[in-house]
Amino acid sequence: MANDDGAAPDPHRSMVHLARLLQFSDSTLPIGSFAFSNGLESALQMQVVNNPAELLQFVELVVHQAARMDGVALLHAHRAAGTGDYETIRAADQALWCRRVGEEQQLMLSRMGRKFAELALKLAPLPLLGRWLGDIKGGSAPGCFPIGQAIALREMGADEVECFVMHQYAVASMVLSAALRLMRIDHMETQRILFTVQGRVEEDYNAVRDLALEEMSVFAPVFDILVAHHTTAHVRLFMN
Amino acid sequence: MGLDAQLRRLDLAREVQGYQDQPAQMRAAGPGKVGELRLGFSMRHGKSVLHDLYRVAPLLVQQALYWDEAMPELPICSIISVGGGILQGDRYKIDISVGPGACAYVTSQGANRIHRMDANYASQHQTVNVEAGAYLEYLPDFTIPYRGSRFINETELVVAPDATVLYGEMMMTGRKHHHVDERFGLDLLSVMASVRRPDGRQLFTEKVLIEKGDPTIDFTAVMRGFDAFANIMCLAPAPVCARIRERFTPHLPVEGEIRAMSGVSRLPNEAGLMLRAVGVESYDVRHEVRRFWRIVREEARGRTLPTEFIWR
Repeated sequence: MANDDGAAPDPHRSMVHLARLLQFSDSTLPIGSFAFSNGLESALQMQVVNNPAELLQFVELVVHQAARMDGVALLHAHRAAGTGDYETIRAADQALWCRRVGEEQQLMLSRMGRKFAELALKLAPLPLLGRWLGDIKGGSAPGCFPIGQAIALREMGADEVECFVMHQYAVASMVLSAALRLMRIDHMETQRILFTVQGRVEEDYNAVRDLALEEMSVFAPVFDILVAHHTTAHVRLFMN
Repeated sequence: MGLDAQLRRLDLAREVQGYQDQPAQMRAAGPGKVGELRLGFSMRHGKSVLHDLYRVAPLLVQQALYWDEAMPELPICSIISVGGGILQGDRYKIDISVGPGACAYVTSQGANRIHRMDANYASQHQTVNVEAGAYLEYLPDFTIPYRGSRFINETELVVAPDATVLYGEMMMTGRKHHHVDERFGLDLLSVMASVRRPDGRQLFTEKVLIEKGDPTIDFTAVMRGFDAFANIMCLAPAPVCARIRERFTPHLPVEGEIRAMSGVSRLPNEAGLMLRAVGVESYDVRHEVRRFWRIVREEARGRTLPTEFIWR
């Protein structure tokens, strides 16, 4: 719970704050995440994922990668939003966009970013987020989802740990929601996987919290080929 | 003379801070450990030539040769490492420029071996500057990071909007037939490439970072048991990329023995395309790279690839 001014925490604000965090973590948040599988659809078609154990490993990889790329940009944007440093927010947005390979991965990043900003601005007055959305509409900002999340949540008083956890949760739940529609797996099993994957969030945060934007990195060649495959796949339910 | 500023910057990278001890032999960046190579290609009297060559051992280029029968106008330089590979404490600097309208192919003599290290690390900084209408193929042979090796490489590419560059890395996971612990037995592999326009606009950046003990290395969606991989970027104008994309068929078998997989993705900011390939052996990946390379050359320059040499 953020309390930057050092004042005693307001218990009622804490409750409302937590409720809002839950609202913005909800997998049914209308930002279009239901349309994306983050490579899972191809992973199933290419038999890289065949069962719940392999799905768990796939989701672990996706959140591991998300922490080391999107998570780094998110933390930078969050810190910059806290000091009103809009240029650093823009730099984080551009840095993440410059590193996203594959048109469908790019589409997921920018579409969810824009929708998230539009939704949040309908719910609350968030001046920095409004400025960022204006730049997206003007074509001068790519509008990456983690950047929007960082600005909005910072303006709503969430600290960077809360913001990071929410982002990682959103990534995992997106893939698992897609799994329910793509493979023979039930809700109990996807919840078990989600519970397990959540267990690694602190380790991921500690691994990336001090990284510079230039240090965002990836290594998952097969995943990258799956992403390339999906673009040309004939049978597809999801947009990536 | 002090070490080049870019190499000094790599010495400050977070991932090499744990390897700052000095070798028992020659100290890091000592005499004979700093290789330098500068290659400049340009159009002279209607012909692409190597007009500028500066080299400091252990890096060596002798001269440009014109041996490509399918593209006889192409000057070709092979980079030779007289050290027999990259050793601990080595610092390499490679600068390649291709002037307006010129073409060039830069490769290496053979596999680039990064030897086992018990102290320090090796680093390499490259700049590639390709001007208007120029064409560069910079495709070194496979890099083989030995068990216990530490290597950091950074490449900065400046590419004019109407130029074409084919650049990338082909890597083995180690000396797979030498020892069971060679597969990703490396301590550190950090490979970064960034692409920008001459006006400074950043188009694309990618950093591959593999550090010892990374648990995801053995995940199916990372290497799927394959031992070789390639990341090859084609930086070219959008219409050329569209034609390449149209012609390149991804290799994605699901039945029988799967020797390799490959696919092409779009880079951000209309920078170009990226070929990703994985395979069982180096030749499986090389086959995918050549398939892509042939299409790139045909679409960008109207020339094809010659038949591969039988010793490859």
